[in-house]
Amino acid sequence: MGLIEVNHLSKHYQIAKRQEGLGGALRSLFHREYMTKMAVQDISFAVNRGEVVGYIGPNGAGKSTTIKMLTGILVPTSGEIRVNGIIPFKERQKNARQIGVVFGQRTQLWWDLPTIESFELLKQVFEVPDQRYRQNMATFSDILGLGEFLYTPVRQLSLGQRMRADIAASLLHDPVILFLDEPTIGLDVVAKERMRTFIKEINRERGVTVILTTHDMSDIEKLCQRMILIDKGRVMYDGELAKIKERFGKERVLIVDLEGEATDFSIAGAAVIKQEGNRMWLRFSRDEVTASQLINQISEKYEIKDVTIKDPEIDVMIRHIYEKGMDGQADYQQE
Amino acid sequence: MILEVIILGTFKMYGEFSRKSFQRAAAYRFDAWTRIIGNVMFLFMWGFIWYGLYHGKGEVEGVSFQAMLSYILISQALQGLHGAGTPLWEIQERVRTGDIAMEMLRPYDYPTRMLFSDFGSITFYFMTAIVPLYTVLFLVLKPVVPTSFSQGGLFVVSAILGYLIRYCIELTFGLFTFWLVETGGVEDIFYFAISLFSGSVIPLWFFPGWLEQVAGYLPFQGIFFVPNSIFVGQLTGQAVWDALLSQVIWLLICYAILRFVWAKASMKIVIQGG
Ligand SMILES: Nc1ncnc2c1ncn2[C@@H]1O[C@H](COP(=O)(O)OP(=O)(O)O)[C@@H](O)[C@H]1O
Ligand SMILES: [Mg+2]
Repeated sequence: MGLIEVNHLSKHYQIAKRQEGLGGALRSLFHREYMTKMAVQDISFAVNRGEVVGYIGPNGAGKSTTIKMLTGILVPTSGEIRVNGIIPFKERQKNARQIGVVFGQRTQLWWDLPTIESFELLKQVFEVPDQRYRQNMATFSDILGLGEFLYTPVRQLSLGQRMRADIAASLLHDPVILFLDEPTIGLDVVAKERMRTFIKEINRERGVTVILTTHDMSDIEKLCQRMILIDKGRVMYDGELAKIKERFGKERVLIVDLEGEATDFSIAGAAVIKQEGNRMWLRFSRDEVTASQLINQISEKYEIKDVTIKDPEIDVMIRHIYEKGMDGQADYQQE
Repeated sequence: MILEVIILGTFKMYGEFSRKSFQRAAAYRFDAWTRIIGNVMFLFMWGFIWYGLYHGKGEVEGVSFQAMLSYILISQALQGLHGAGTPLWEIQERVRTGDIAMEMLRPYDYPTRMLFSDFGSITFYFMTAIVPLYTVLFLVLKPVVPTSFSQGGLFVVSAILGYLIRYCIELTFGLFTFWLVETGGVEDIFYFAISLFSGSVIPLWFFPGWLEQVAGYLPFQGIFFVPNSIFVGQLTGQAVWDALLSQVIWLLICYAILRFVWAKASMKIVIQGG
């Protein structure tokens, strides 16, 4: 039994069609036409205690919709969810006590008050015992460096600081599970790194299970053993990141700079995917030919000035899966 | 015993919202004090208008100018207090941005927590702006004031009932945002009804008969007209009790409507995603 169980989960939104003109507006008073948006379609997965799972997908893939259903503020159209034994939407408040939630694009802190005041408020709301509250505050201040802005009004915090405060706020009541919806969105590199370190630490030190959504692949690379890739409301892949790399990582790109113009350039075992003046991009597969074989072949016909080998970027692999599915031919374009 | 602990705990939690709101109002005290300037400006405007209307007349409809002055003063004071609560546009904004949906992730009742938040900011405004200012005004202008302890007490009860009625109506109107694309109309209706039918600036006894009757059938008169009239002594004896009873009934009705609309709104959030 997983800590979180999701079975054949779907969410369809009904969107009222806007009708044209005054007549349409009048007609829509009496009769509205609806369009169905299938935001999440037949998703199943289970998460075990202590895992850090990356829920990744492009904008509009259905990530937030899934998180909202897991937290209980959205009722599934069909399918089942259990979060630590609780059906979230049926026992929303009970569920709220065992989970922490951060939506990256909004804050749960009181905008006009010093950060510490929001923490105190949440202490009351979740009835956190004094001693536990002090311990938690000490720990979070330590790793998140909250000390420097605890007495600053939230509206004056930088985005990075606000995110740190928000994540600390979501953990004050010692939740078993932490849901993070785009926790790194809009952050600069340093702030992102800091956030990732904290999430890792919380998971390791406290055993908090983390589900985070993102469209930033490096979040996944740095944080998650496992990722669930979704697109258009469907799971495209669920498993280790390493497997993806193995499956699609065989493909590499060799970039060669030649002396002089290369006309009718062709080499067995590699495909030209791009050409800019004397610079050529050649895609090849590790299974078929090695890089040194390729370079040898090329140097027999042309004069080589410089070569670089590029590992496939994870983003590109992901895009490939989006476009062709897991089983599709690996013939993506590398930029 | 256990029940006591739960009730005490719940009260402490909601009370914390009042405290935080109080602190927030304190942080924004400059804002509160600019509001009071506006409040006083309206006070003088209405004062002069009524002074002009009363010119040369001892009483109008059996009401002396001193009583009318008192009516305007207490009405402006109450309006000032109401203005310190969460305004309609802010509720609409919270619906629009989806912030209200996030509150459903908390183990509390949203309408109740909003009410307690408003208590905090109103208390701050009451202590730092309304009390000092209106004490001075009453001392200087010497209008009619309650002559007995019970009249004063009934006024306070009525004023609180009035605030609660307004709170229910305003939040309900704010929640309509869930179903509307364009909310300007709702705002207009709300402010029109509040300023006309509540007796905030024109006491209902000056209304033409038919309009007074219409106002009598609406909940808005319970917001300012009833407490103001008790304050200036226009409602006395049995009439006070009748008026209070009608306030209580309206409060219950408005609260029931609020709960109904909130239940519908919550359903909309969880089914349609806000
Ligand atoms: N409340 C809603 N009503 C109608 N459509 C919605 C609503 N919320 C989201 N959608 C649509 O559902 C899809 C998934 O949205 P979302 O879960 O927010 O995606 P993500 O978080 O992955 O960007 C999008 O096409 C979005 O436009
Ligand atoms: Mg999203």
